[in-house]
Amino acid sequence: MKKTEGPQVRVRRQGSSFGTRFYKQLPLFLIVLPGLIWYLIFKYFPLWYISKAFTNYGMSANPRFTGLANFTRLFQDPKFWRAFRNTMILSLYNIIFYFPIPIILALSMNELRTKAGKKVAQFIVYIPHFLSWVVVGGLFVMLLSPTTGIVNRILVGLGIIKEPIYFMASNDHFRGVLILSEIWKSAGYGAVIYIAAISGVDSQLYDAAMVDGAGYWGRLIHVTLPAIRNTIATVLLLTLARIMQMQDQILVMYNASVYEVSDVLRTYSYISGIRQGNVGYATAIGLFTSIVSVVLIVLSNWFSKHVLDEEIL
Amino acid sequence: MKTSPGRKTFIVLNALFIILVCVAIMVPIWMVVVTSLSTDAVAAKEGFVLIPKGIEFESYHKIFVSRGYMGAFTRSVWITLAATAVSMILTTMLAYGLSQSGLMFRTTFNNLILITMVIDGGIIPFYMVVRNLGMIDTYASLIIPMAIQTYNLILMRNFFKGIPESLMESARLDGASEMRTMVSIVLPISVPIIAAITLFYLVSHWNRYFEVIMFINDSKKFTLQVLLRQMLFQSESSEGTASILFNNFKMAVMVMTMLPILIVYPFVQKYFISGLMLGSVKG
Repeated sequence: MKKTEGPQVRVRRQGSSFGTRFYKQLPLFLIVLPGLIWYLIFKYFPLWYISKAFTNYGMSANPRFTGLANFTRLFQDPKFWRAFRNTMILSLYNIIFYFPIPIILALSMNELRTKAGKKVAQFIVYIPHFLSWVVVGGLFVMLLSPTTGIVNRILVGLGIIKEPIYFMASNDHFRGVLILSEIWKSAGYGAVIYIAAISGVDSQLYDAAMVDGAGYWGRLIHVTLPAIRNTIATVLLLTLARIMQMQDQILVMYNASVYEVSDVLRTYSYISGIRQGNVGYATAIGLFTSIVSVVLIVLSNWFSKHVLDEEIL
Repeated sequence: MKTSPGRKTFIVLNALFIILVCVAIMVPIWMVVVTSLSTDAVAAKEGFVLIPKGIEFESYHKIFVSRGYMGAFTRSVWITLAATAVSMILTTMLAYGLSQSGLMFRTTFNNLILITMVIDGGIIPFYMVVRNLGMIDTYASLIIPMAIQTYNLILMRNFFKGIPESLMESARLDGASEMRTMVSIVLPISVPIIAAITLFYLVSHWNRYFEVIMFINDSKKFTLQVLLRQMLFQSESSEGTASILFNNFKMAVMVMTMLPILIVYPFVQKYFISGLMLGSVKG
């Protein structure tokens, strides 16, 4: 068997026609085939349904092409503008209040002196990432409950507020609850990537900085931050790409009394398309959302290329 | 090098900060566990308990005998296990194939897959595809449509790319089939990444909420996450409706929802950090 194998292989290599090359890699092709079919069905077939955005599908028994009617309706729909505004505001809050925290956490964890301390801290801060939004939402309901919640008890006890606040149903506080719960759930895990980047910094750079007399802050500003700048830019881009899709968190935590401040494009599209059956209209909302997020990605890539001098895409 | 007093203060303050962060994470989880182990009387009086007053398994007993919750729990376990198995098989095979230079159109396939991370049809078209496949209200809708996560696929592919091709080549020359090469040569040396990705899939399938409420209308098929959401939020958001469930029972359901993950996490934790880093080194 072995003896005939050698020449055969050589023959196949010489014959480089498409058919023989394809035959040679057929086993590999069969291994990727199920996955490729999956991508075709669940990632590419949906693209065809985007065409429903230009029909009155779901609104009438005989759906027909309606051109840009859904988009005209969209721009006159106050609920759409409310969802758009909420998406933008929540994204902005997210970038201002959430985004820096994983970086600070990573820098801080990197400064822990004992190895055991580092291990224990890493073990604990990653836990919330693995809990579901239902559980995390439940934890916040529990902590913020107006009757039994520890937060209201402390605030009332300290005399900061007179009446307990119903955080989950208050238009003034609900966005804060969303951002805080995002920090609680994701900041620790978000630090992983920075911890990896920091541990990859050449220690000779630190030695050189110390010889030059740089203190801790000097080393932070001149060595660590420049070294992880590219990571920060990448994560910022990914954050921007993701901001249009905070759906689990909001779907779990919001309720009718706070729609005004928390109904976002994804939730609005879901409710109007699947709960109310306006498929064509909801697809138009989704298409609009996708276009905005692609624009955001391209813009932030442009920004990081021309302003920060780091190309990401 | 000597440590200056200022530096010492910084080290201490920094350690205190991290301790505070850890406390902020652990206290709510602790309160859930302690409350779930309280008696009805204590739970009714205090709502949430910080310091345990005796241990009582009353609420857990109630869950075990309740068809609804126990049914949802076992259902969720089975769905999660099946979904994770399907995810791992599809992802590993695709990642392995895409990592091998012998595959034709490799770059094209890679690009077509990467594009899907940016270009996305949105929720409604995805829903329409699942509906037209006749999957609404079936468990298949919770297993197949979310089987592959591109990010996990890329992590795995990058890990496989890092394995010297000569290893696979020698197995192939020995007459091993491609499948055999993958299973007996590649997978045994890829334990860190496989453990990490398995954890990622387990967690995302177990924690799934949105797709369940989107694809499942039949309340007999709801998963534990959906039941927990209903229980926790409906009583909280509709004031006035007196809830007969005490917090100890609610928190016991919450513990059941966290439990599988908190059990798996410590074992896989060491892998997921190394796997994550190994996979992401080469872009």
